[in-house]
Amino acid sequence: MSLLWLRVAVLLYGIAALAVLPAALYSRPRWRHVALPAALAGAFFHFVSITETLYAAHRALPVDTHETLSLLGLLLAAAFLILAAKYKTVSFGIFLLPVVVLLTLVPAFHPGHETIAYPFIRTGWLLLHIVLLLAAYAALFLSLIASLLYLIQERRLKQKRTPRRTWLPPLETTDQIALKALLFGLPCMTAGLLIGSVVALQTIGATFFADPKVLLSFAMWIAYVLMIFIRQHSGLRGRRAIYLSSFVFLVVLAVWSANLFSAVHRFRAP
Amino acid sequence: MSEITLKSGSILLLGVNHTTAPIDVRERLAIPISRLADATRTLAHQPGIREALILSTCNRVELLTVSDAAESPLSPPLGMLRFLHDYLNLPAEEIKPHVYEFREREAIRHLFRVASSLDSMVVGEPQILGQVKESWNVAREVGAISSTLDPLLQRAFSVAKKVRTETQIGSSSVSIASVAAELARKIFGSLSGKTVLIVGAGKMSDLAARHLIQQGATTLLVSNRTEARAEKIADSLRTPAITTGVIPFNQLHEQSHRADIIITSTGAAALGQAQIFTAAQARALLHRRRNRPIFFIDIAVPRDVAPEINNLEGCFVYDIDDLQQVAAQNQAVRSREAEAAETIVTREVELYNDRLSQAPAIEAIKQLQLSAEAVRQQELARTAQRLATNPLTPEQQAAIEALTKSLTAKLLHSQLSALRTPDDPTK
Repeated sequence: MSLLWLRVAVLLYGIAALAVLPAALYSRPRWRHVALPAALAGAFFHFVSITETLYAAHRALPVDTHETLSLLGLLLAAAFLILAAKYKTVSFGIFLLPVVVLLTLVPAFHPGHETIAYPFIRTGWLLLHIVLLLAAYAALFLSLIASLLYLIQERRLKQKRTPRRTWLPPLETTDQIALKALLFGLPCMTAGLLIGSVVALQTIGATFFADPKVLLSFAMWIAYVLMIFIRQHSGLRGRRAIYLSSFVFLVVLAVWSANLFSAVHRFRAP
Repeated sequence: MSEITLKSGSILLLGVNHTTAPIDVRERLAIPISRLADATRTLAHQPGIREALILSTCNRVELLTVSDAAESPLSPPLGMLRFLHDYLNLPAEEIKPHVYEFREREAIRHLFRVASSLDSMVVGEPQILGQVKESWNVAREVGAISSTLDPLLQRAFSVAKKVRTETQIGSSSVSIASVAAELARKIFGSLSGKTVLIVGAGKMSDLAARHLIQQGATTLLVSNRTEARAEKIADSLRTPAITTGVIPFNQLHEQSHRADIIITSTGAAALGQAQIFTAAQARALLHRRRNRPIFFIDIAVPRDVAPEINNLEGCFVYDIDDLQQVAAQNQAVRSREAEAAETIVTREVELYNDRLSQAPAIEAIKQLQLSAEAVRQQELARTAQRLATNPLTPEQQAAIEALTKSLTAKLLHSQLSALRTPDDPTK
């Protein structure tokens, strides 16, 4: 049943991703009334699906890659809805919603079968570790998109091209979103890493620190903090902000792909 | 579709606007808002006029009425002409060359076009809808409109709303000052809390500053070679919600980082002096602002702001040509969107006409059904009285009820069908 809800969510996200194009690019408000309810309903069914999956498996954690991707998709969908409610813009949906569709499409049609055999599988702390880190990734991705939109709008204004339909939010708004997303992501990442470290130290011991994924994660945290410091200190915006965000995003991708070499984060039981 | 004539009267619109009458004629016809209620009441009390509404703006004066009976398209609107003569003291002959007249469907179309801002001097300007609503409110308050004009005006408002939402007719600015304000919004979003600096004195910069203040800018700084002149400008723009200040011209570069938007109009280069803002000065400005964006609106000719400043990240420079170009592009967009809006209006006029032409038939159907039901009830009561000594069982009563209903419906069927399809010549 949970798969059915997830497929319904994918369908609704797909509708929202399509409807957001005329709503944002052609300023057609009627399509906005399609995109937002579809995304909201999609997020609801997505949440139901994840809850049902975990409940049926008698665990509190998304353990395989597909479930984790699906959870990340839900967080990004939530980010889109929050932005639409707070800043009255659906422009972010042009980039966010297709990613949400992709992140949920695979788990909806090829669900993973990986399991994890650690005794702490039912611990709420580990759930918190995963959700917080995913929230930090989502925040970073959002910040990257905001910086991209900033760059596009800045170029348009500098080239003095006045598009008939202005789908881009004002520069200051995108800048605020980019910075606020990073500032939201930092405590999430810090707390997520700390919780993960404490749990791993208790269950695995000091060898945990030699794990490539763990090392990369701490490098990612340093890069994240540095990025926020530079942005805050020098008021970095536009092209250079994009470069910086892209670099940190690459580090995040490296951390993610380090699952392949990690002894701690390997999903199959050792 | 055949021309409609309302059972309740005939719609007639008489008016002058910026295309038919010069300003001196419009001035004589204009009715100030303080006198609008009295004028509307007077017009509504003219012989033969049942409902009336007056729309008076700087670009148009229009009288919209519903007369008691359908007038011939050739007959002059006597009541309205008398009103013009008596109330405005204007001989009909004097204004006749400037007046346009629309009847029935064309009057409805004109009203829809006016409310949708398709007949305005600046097509798509939003004020006209508010002005039509104001006239409607006044007419309602004095009881000058009822069953015909009230729904017509409400329809006009929804048509105008439809035009606004389904087209981009009002989405872009077409004056230099409003273009500057629109660009500022694209950079800063809300202008609330933003600081505007005017460098130099000029009508255009004053206008642009006023637009920015209207959009929410809260602090206004002025810098001019003549400090007294700067103070005068600051005073003229000061309101309780606006903080104003003067920056001495020799401290301009030290203090201009306080401003988010800088409007320049000194034309210093024409006097052989250097430009007010060079690229190096803009770099220093950005540094002091910690790279927060800054918007230069350069209205001066020759330019006050070095154009290469636009290449600096965070600096946006628009000179008078850029602003004019944006305004022209927006004007072209409005013209294109106006075509789409005209299609909407045409469709809505047809729909409204259809509804009006069906109204008498609907009323007749209702009357026929009511009278048939009254006869049926009367006959049922008579039968019940006759059978008082031997009353019917509830089942029998139900059967008779069903029988009489069915009989009535079958007897009325042909008449109702004929009323529902009035254009069918065989009926």
